[in-house]
Amino acid sequence: MERKIDLPLILVIILLALLAVVISVFLLSGDPLRTLHYFFLGPLKGRYYIGNFLNSMGVLIFGALGFSIAMQGGSFNLGGEGQIYGGAFVATIATFGLARLGVVAPPLALLAGALFSGLIAALSGFLKLRWGTNELITTFLISYALILVVNYLVGGPFLDPTTNLIATRKIAPQFQLAKILEPSNLSTGLIYALLAVVVVSFYLNRSRSGFELKMMGYNPQFALYSGIRVGWYTLWPMFLSGAFYGLAGGISIFGTYHATVKEFSSGMGWNALAVALIARYRPWAIVPAALFFAYLEAGSRNAMLHSDVTFEIISIVQAVIFFFITSALLKKRGGRHG
Amino acid sequence: MAKFPLLHSAVSIMTPLLLAATGGLFTELSGMLNIALEGMMLWGAFSSIVFTHYTGSLFLGVLLALLTTMLLAAIMGSATLYLRSNIFITGLATNLLASGLTVVLSYRMFGNKGVVVFKGIKELPYLKIPPLQSIPILGDLLIGHHLFVYLSWFLLLVALFLLYHTPFGLRLRSIGDNEEVLLSLGHQPNLYRMVAFLIAGAFCAFGGATLSLSLGAFVPNMTSGKGWIALVVIFLGQRRPLGLLLAAFVFGLADAFSNYAQGAFNIPAEFILAIPYVFTLLVMIGLSAFNSRRRGS
Repeated sequence: MERKIDLPLILVIILLALLAVVISVFLLSGDPLRTLHYFFLGPLKGRYYIGNFLNSMGVLIFGALGFSIAMQGGSFNLGGEGQIYGGAFVATIATFGLARLGVVAPPLALLAGALFSGLIAALSGFLKLRWGTNELITTFLISYALILVVNYLVGGPFLDPTTNLIATRKIAPQFQLAKILEPSNLSTGLIYALLAVVVVSFYLNRSRSGFELKMMGYNPQFALYSGIRVGWYTLWPMFLSGAFYGLAGGISIFGTYHATVKEFSSGMGWNALAVALIARYRPWAIVPAALFFAYLEAGSRNAMLHSDVTFEIISIVQAVIFFFITSALLKKRGGRHG
Repeated sequence: MAKFPLLHSAVSIMTPLLLAATGGLFTELSGMLNIALEGMMLWGAFSSIVFTHYTGSLFLGVLLALLTTMLLAAIMGSATLYLRSNIFITGLATNLLASGLTVVLSYRMFGNKGVVVFKGIKELPYLKIPPLQSIPILGDLLIGHHLFVYLSWFLLLVALFLLYHTPFGLRLRSIGDNEEVLLSLGHQPNLYRMVAFLIAGAFCAFGGATLSLSLGAFVPNMTSGKGWIALVVIFLGQRRPLGLLLAAFVFGLADAFSNYAQGAFNIPAEFILAIPYVFTLLVMIGLSAFNSRRRGS
């Protein structure tokens, strides 16, 4: 069941992605060489840029773990966008009520966000189990409705009137993660993300429940005949998936933003999905994949700051990756999800 | 002035949905869940108004939008059918590409990532079709719409004819039911699927064009989930052309109602925007509950 890392495929994808960057910059920029310079070297110029670039890895890792767990269990969770944002918001709000609890408060607030997003994703799992409602569509629809509701809450009842941003109040200092590479944004969030990779990898490969989850994803029919609780394993991977998306949101609040800013996480869910695809849903492979994607992300942000292209150029790169990454012809062995 | 303004505007509002759903019916019947209707419609919206702006001709603008959207559909089709990539991921790719590319190009061409208003673009022509008016009760709802509304009905009839009265349609539908039969008769299922992708692209281009040209502006991500709603319209319409018409009208009515509610009650704008997603979700759940019950009995 374990698939080996297919190095040539990864190299082809990386090359295609870089090619997409170069071609779109030449087509879109008035000064392509300057733009490319900032795109590829910008993220590495000094500790501020390196720190910020590494910092975005943390969210990508948590989110990619989220998508991967659902995938390993045979479900599609396209709700990452809303589950990250919703989890971030719930974690933020939870800090306001939990502040008096001392050291246990930060993990509890993060768990509240994870629980919320987990339940949101599990709802799609429940609908799939009960009536066979396609989870691909329900996760997407719920996620987009959720984003709008959170937008309302952030801009209305929970708006902090003392700032110019559309954002909630700041979380108390006790909830803020320690910085590693000042003055950059890099926080201990990245370390927690790496820990999460270890935990998920252990769960999927060394525990009975993880084994059953993967069997469910590999062949539901076979799983049924082996006496695996198919109903439970329709809900559980979705719950875990949402929970990790929720953690991605919570960690980016605690580590980077310190308040839920309106639509701060826009695009994070899709980026995490790209990372999960590059890693082919394997926890360990998510780390280098996140590094690569965070680099592209930082590159396009830098190119936008110092040159004449916009940040959205990254979605062209993303699309190129998505078109090719699951191709059965590019890889030697066919996988179940393409 | 129409006698039933809510119903009348529902007929108009449902047009992009009906067009995208009719296009999506082709891919659906060939056995593919096509989540890229959203992206193809968004590209159609952007390209039609931009090309109309630059060529100064509505006809040329829409034609070029049609061709470029079909190109987008062909890219997705090739990746899905010939590179054998996962269709949900290539569908996502199409959606993300459309959403990113429209913003990137809009910034490059107009220096603006937000709403782009095209002042020089004329309003869509409103058609007068006197015979429609004489139809009792319904007549009032059928008149006083712009060109694309009538075009969508005509194209629905074209789709009905193609799918149910031509060998092409018969074969396309048979792929969805049983691919082996077609293979054994010496036909290439992938060729039929590719044509289905191209048709879906063309219909979505019309759907998108309806959105931007009737507004005279391009708004980033202006399709706002309509491609996903179109998918649910296909399911609710029981995958039959006339079913689509009814289903699209239901969603058009919901949309018209939420527009009305925005004016009539003091509901936050975000909730109004969320209504289509929630309503679509509820329809989707109700439909699958109904179908699973029917399967069970």
